[in-house]
Amino acid sequence: MKKFIPIGVLGLVSILIPAFVDNQYILHSIVMILLYAYLSTSWNIVGGFAGQLSLGHSSFMAIGGYTSTLLAIHSGLSPWIGMLVGGCAAAFVAVLVGIPSFRLKGAYYSLATIAFAEGLSMLLQTVKRIGPIDLGGAEGLRVASIPDASILDFQSLSKVPYYYIILVFLAIVVFVSWYIDRSKLGYYLTALKEDEDAAKALGINTQQVKLIAAGLSAFFTALGGTFFVQLIRYVEPATIAGIDLSTQMVFLAVVGGMGTVFGPLVGSIVLTTLATITQIYFGGSSSGLHLIIYGTAVVAVILFMPPGHGIIHPILKMLGLAEKDGANKSDGRLNEAAAPSSRKDLVRE
Amino acid sequence: MLSLLVQGILIGSIYGLIALGLTLIFGIMRVINFAHGTLLMVSMYIAFLSVNTLGLSPYLTLIVVVPAMFGIGYLINMALIQPVLNKESDVREPIGALVLTFGLSVLLENVFLAVFGPNYHSIRTSFSNETVQIGSVIMPVPKLYAFLLASVVTVLFYLFLQKSEMGRVIRAVGQDRNTALLMGVNVPFVFNVAFGIGLAVLGTAGVALVPFYNIHPSIGNIFAIKAFVTVLLGGLGSIPGAIVGGLLIGIVESVCTLWVPSTLSSVVVLYAFLIFLFIRPAGLFGSEHDA
Repeated sequence: MKKFIPIGVLGLVSILIPAFVDNQYILHSIVMILLYAYLSTSWNIVGGFAGQLSLGHSSFMAIGGYTSTLLAIHSGLSPWIGMLVGGCAAAFVAVLVGIPSFRLKGAYYSLATIAFAEGLSMLLQTVKRIGPIDLGGAEGLRVASIPDASILDFQSLSKVPYYYIILVFLAIVVFVSWYIDRSKLGYYLTALKEDEDAAKALGINTQQVKLIAAGLSAFFTALGGTFFVQLIRYVEPATIAGIDLSTQMVFLAVVGGMGTVFGPLVGSIVLTTLATITQIYFGGSSSGLHLIIYGTAVVAVILFMPPGHGIIHPILKMLGLAEKDGANKSDGRLNEAAAPSSRKDLVRE
Repeated sequence: MLSLLVQGILIGSIYGLIALGLTLIFGIMRVINFAHGTLLMVSMYIAFLSVNTLGLSPYLTLIVVVPAMFGIGYLINMALIQPVLNKESDVREPIGALVLTFGLSVLLENVFLAVFGPNYHSIRTSFSNETVQIGSVIMPVPKLYAFLLASVVTVLFYLFLQKSEMGRVIRAVGQDRNTALLMGVNVPFVFNVAFGIGLAVLGTAGVALVPFYNIHPSIGNIFAIKAFVTVLLGGLGSIPGAIVGGLLIGIVESVCTLWVPSTLSSVVVLYAFLIFLFIRPAGLFGSEHDA
């Protein structure tokens, strides 16, 4: 139970934050930090657990955001329900695209995801309407501002409701990640990530497992997309389907420790906070500054840490919570099994 | 239609040139260089700076760009990529290398954005707006020169790979690195050289583009995607595949403007590529084993 203490502390602190932070701008920044943590944890389900490097994940955010907004505009449907519809749509698309894509090896799959996302982004920017439905083209769509909006409208003037909503989302997706990690699905994912051929030889239906991971990941990412749209009350293809968001999801998860449950969360909080602070002090117009920081962090983590490890691993070591068994240590090393002398727990006498 | 075809061939030769570097790097080292597009952008900025500060004429900048890009390639491989590949040598899927090149690409793009700003830069030449007419086809002069340069470099590159000693060594390492090692080849050195050459060829593409293409830190992305499409179409590791693939992509992109607004021509290429990828991932000339 010792390992739940840091989570408990974090949880308690996070519930109390809005009580101490009055500045709406700072609160907005914190909401964004949590949103990125949420998104990168969602990405991690397919990117880290399954090892499928999806570099076009923002396309699912776009599907979520556009679905909920279009449904709200044309059928008056509550954004909450629209959000769930968007999630299912995204999961469906992920499975559809995944069926042919997952047959491809590593880099080919990544290229396919980039091509798909870029194509979707360009399509959304160019196609202004499909029949009676106005897609807004490159200018995007506005989410109507509802006066005296309640939480049921998924809107508010103050950032505080948004904060708690994203906090709950984050808790849910981290719990789902944690649950998957411990479940049989999690073991299948780890197996296929480390050696797909061996996993297949053991009888694991790797295609099906990958599709499940992709669907789940896309579902949660799309929910995040709707949240994002409701937060800024605007959906625009260049942002929501852009390479910037896709890249950030990947980088934050990798730096934190892809394949671990809390890695993306830690990576996001550390890097996004750093980027936000830097942006405040070094001028806000330089939009690429945060990516320079993230890019450098990614290169550094890949160069200097063991494969699959991120900054969460030294942190866990410092807290004395480093896992000894293989469940949380997805670093892809095949020779782990070749060093049985370190597995004292296997020796019964 | 003929005009469009010719335009497609002209730009396709550049795509092929870009793809050459990419396919060489993959063929020899099995590394997919996600930073290829960004490095093209870097070479274009080097050419731009050479014109503006050194006063060189656009094509003479090759003297600066080619060695510079070779050096950059050599260093990137030595310092960044090889260490990661060595660390991951016992892992089935070296996604670390992928993320590394991707991270490098994002890093470089934003550093250049910070240094050069978001404005487009371009160079003016005496022939920027001139065109030449052959029969019923009108060709912009800079693009024609680019085509000529691309063709010359492609031929030189092919000759180098087939006829020179270093070319032979590189091909040997590409075929079987362990045997080459046993034969006394300094494989890490060859990797560095191959990466350097791949980027040097990329640099010539950059020089060819600068006279008629506006320079901005983000232009690397679209060229990168087209280069990947080209390489995968032609087959990873295949030199003729890269050339043929480039020409094909250029032609498809150009000709489809007959039916589709030009802003969507890239989408057509992308989605056509996706479909192709699902049918034959090995590409036109590639070996099935690489897919």
